[in-house]
Amino acid sequence: MNQTEPIPNSSEREAQALRDLENSWQTPRGMIGWLSCTTHQAIGMRYIVTAFIFLLAGGIEALLIRLQLALPNNTLLGPDRYNEIFTTHGTTMMFLFAVPMMEGMAVYLVPLMLGTRNVAFPRLNAFGYWIYLAGAIFLYWGVFTNTAPDAGWFSYPPLSGPAYSPGKRVDFWAQMITFTEVSAMCVASELIATIFKMRAPGMSLNRIPLYCWSMLVQSFMVIFAMPAVMIASSYLLSDRTVGTHFVNPAEGGDPLLYQHVFWLFGHPEVYIIFIPALGFVSSIVTANSRREIFGYPGMVLSIVATGFIAFGLWVHHMFATGLPQIGEAYFTAASMMIAVTSGVQIFCWIATLWTGRLRMTAALHFVFGFIAIFVLGGLTGVILASVSLDVQVHDTFFVVAHFHYVLIGGALFPLFGAFYHWFPKITGRLMNEAVGKLNFWILFIGFNLTFFPMHILGLKGMTRRIYTYGSEMGWELGNILATIGAFIIAAGGVVFLINIFLSRNRGEIAGDNPWDADSFEWAAASPPKSYNFEYLPVATSRYPLWVAASERTFVTGLRNDRREVLVTTLMDAEPHHRLVLPRSSLWPLLTALAVTIGFIGSVFNAWYITYGSILTGLAFVGWFWPRLPVETKP
Amino acid sequence: MITQNMINVEHLEPSDISSQSPLWWGQVCIVAIEATMFSILMAAYFYVRLSVDVWPPAGDQFPHTLLPSIALLPLILSAFGSYWASQAAKKNDRTGMLLGMGLNIILATVFFVMRIIEWHSLNFNWQTDAQGSYVWAFLGLHSFDYVADLAFTIVLFFIVLSGRYAEKQRLGVHVDSVVWYFIVAIWIPIYVVIYWGPQIVETQ
Repeated sequence: MNQTEPIPNSSEREAQALRDLENSWQTPRGMIGWLSCTTHQAIGMRYIVTAFIFLLAGGIEALLIRLQLALPNNTLLGPDRYNEIFTTHGTTMMFLFAVPMMEGMAVYLVPLMLGTRNVAFPRLNAFGYWIYLAGAIFLYWGVFTNTAPDAGWFSYPPLSGPAYSPGKRVDFWAQMITFTEVSAMCVASELIATIFKMRAPGMSLNRIPLYCWSMLVQSFMVIFAMPAVMIASSYLLSDRTVGTHFVNPAEGGDPLLYQHVFWLFGHPEVYIIFIPALGFVSSIVTANSRREIFGYPGMVLSIVATGFIAFGLWVHHMFATGLPQIGEAYFTAASMMIAVTSGVQIFCWIATLWTGRLRMTAALHFVFGFIAIFVLGGLTGVILASVSLDVQVHDTFFVVAHFHYVLIGGALFPLFGAFYHWFPKITGRLMNEAVGKLNFWILFIGFNLTFFPMHILGLKGMTRRIYTYGSEMGWELGNILATIGAFIIAAGGVVFLINIFLSRNRGEIAGDNPWDADSFEWAAASPPKSYNFEYLPVATSRYPLWVAASERTFVTGLRNDRREVLVTTLMDAEPHHRLVLPRSSLWPLLTALAVTIGFIGSVFNAWYITYGSILTGLAFVGWFWPRLPVETKP
Repeated sequence: MITQNMINVEHLEPSDISSQSPLWWGQVCIVAIEATMFSILMAAYFYVRLSVDVWPPAGDQFPHTLLPSIALLPLILSAFGSYWASQAAKKNDRTGMLLGMGLNIILATVFFVMRIIEWHSLNFNWQTDAQGSYVWAFLGLHSFDYVADLAFTIVLFFIVLSGRYAEKQRLGVHVDSVVWYFIVAIWIPIYVVIYWGPQIVETQ
């Protein structure tokens, strides 16, 4: 099968092939074309831009929180508004920013890194985006009509139950969960199928880029974790709307069960956000150390192990609920185990950096920031894993400090590094490196100034979610420092946005591979064509762009006049069959609308579950209805 | 481009109806999601059941076991219809697909009618108490999946009947069976839990 033959040197045939590819992969122009788009680059960008807007919204909410807490006895927001704002902040950051952002980056990058032309299910991909957008608009519709949720981002009953939270606030929250989880499951399924079956020939399991490994593990975690939160939020919603008693203790239900089911999702959720960031770090470290990653098998095994262990930790969020001691001991041990897998990866990166020829790019600055902050957050994590210490600082600002260290340090810093690293691929222009490094230092200093004092505030007894405090508590210094820090972070965000907008139009032209990096996305044009690669690449090494140009291998024989990709075998990525992917379609949008009618309607009237299901069923029939001619010609 | 090493894939089939297809993996993902949901529901059921002494609560009947047990027969047989259709889809045997799906649809409908009769005999609903909520959660979620996949099978049946089908639709018939096996298989542990559980576990 592996035969050497010259490429047809007729430039005319080459030009015709490119025209065919362009025609079959382009999205129709105009509004209808935009709405029916199914290419992964466009959908990925929509996720990234939308999620970024919600990062800004969540950031503004964070500033409001910090303004309220800046001074003792402050009355800027008042208790009710404060509840709404911290709930919306947490909800936005977890469900509307972090997960969709990571999914969007993967939708953009994974097909490029695997050397294929789209995700396995392009229409499902579009559907997932529309559902996410609908859920996000739904929540913010509530926020702007004085129906913002106010029971915390995990909405524990009985507080969030019908007796203590009348009105529709919590219903909006619970149904927004359903939207975003459906969206995440769509992306997870398509990424699993893509990574399993659409890798470049030769990209056997031991050659998959670490970023794709991390997205594979993350996708499996989404599949096993997201159903839990859908069940938890459905328990809550149906208790509130149709009078069930899932978590109602008066009729035999159990509010503690809600906590179990929620955290069975909630803890893996942290890793669902964090594991893709590990992938970013591996890519950035490899490219900027200009050497192979140290300990690839150990890295892969650590990511996979993290995926498993993450499901055995959830009870450490519930140590204060009075569970049996044997259970607490088990979950303490399991929680500490996660330090081992994280540690292995940190040491592998340090070894790679140590022995590499470093190029101190802005992206690498963010990686160093990540390592510093994440290790600190990890150390407080080990503290919180211990029952005796956890019970002391439970529900205090110590916990707030811890999870911002692991989430901002563990996910946001790598994400910003990833923006600097892949921006030239996405736009064709480099971001300004000097401004990037300034951006990093502002964020790094602002971050530590905001969140480090919170450790001390927590130890001094400042609890989470109080809207103000008296001046006799001795919490003034820490709070004012945190508020100043928060505005420094905001300034860092502004610098980033300025850098984006200036570089987008005036940045230096990047070329295909500005970092001389190793993986396939850098073999595509910057920005990538709608078909990614004229000839699909073959992976002859774990670092396919670092082999000699004369040894690079490509795939020929795919048809260019339709959206054809290559399906390979699961383990060894041997070519197996060709697959024709669907073209643009409006059905994903129409189906998403049908689902939205059902989801939103059912918050107000349970019968909308039936109406929505019927509409969705009809939309799916339209989606799958065979188009003429139906044959797949060879 | 100058002379390069090329792998020619022109000779490969332009479609495939087997577990090598990405769509098959997509269906496996859906099955994994659904299986997780039912597993959590089961864990939640036992969690709540074990926190009380009397189950089902006073006033709720013990669920009948006769009709649900008889209903297992058409349900399990319907999976064979599904299997028949999926094998026929691989061989592009239109008659086989129609007969297999037809058998699947008829038996699945018989089962569902029996379930509706059983529903009407229950003296509690989701609003009665926690037991009612959890039992109806199983019934509701499983019925939702059941009706959705049955509706798809009916649509596929008519697509194949119309003759307007090719590899993609045959692949649809094949992967439809994956979900159907799951819907049949997951019902068996649920049936044991909600119909036999309260009878077997000693109540005070």
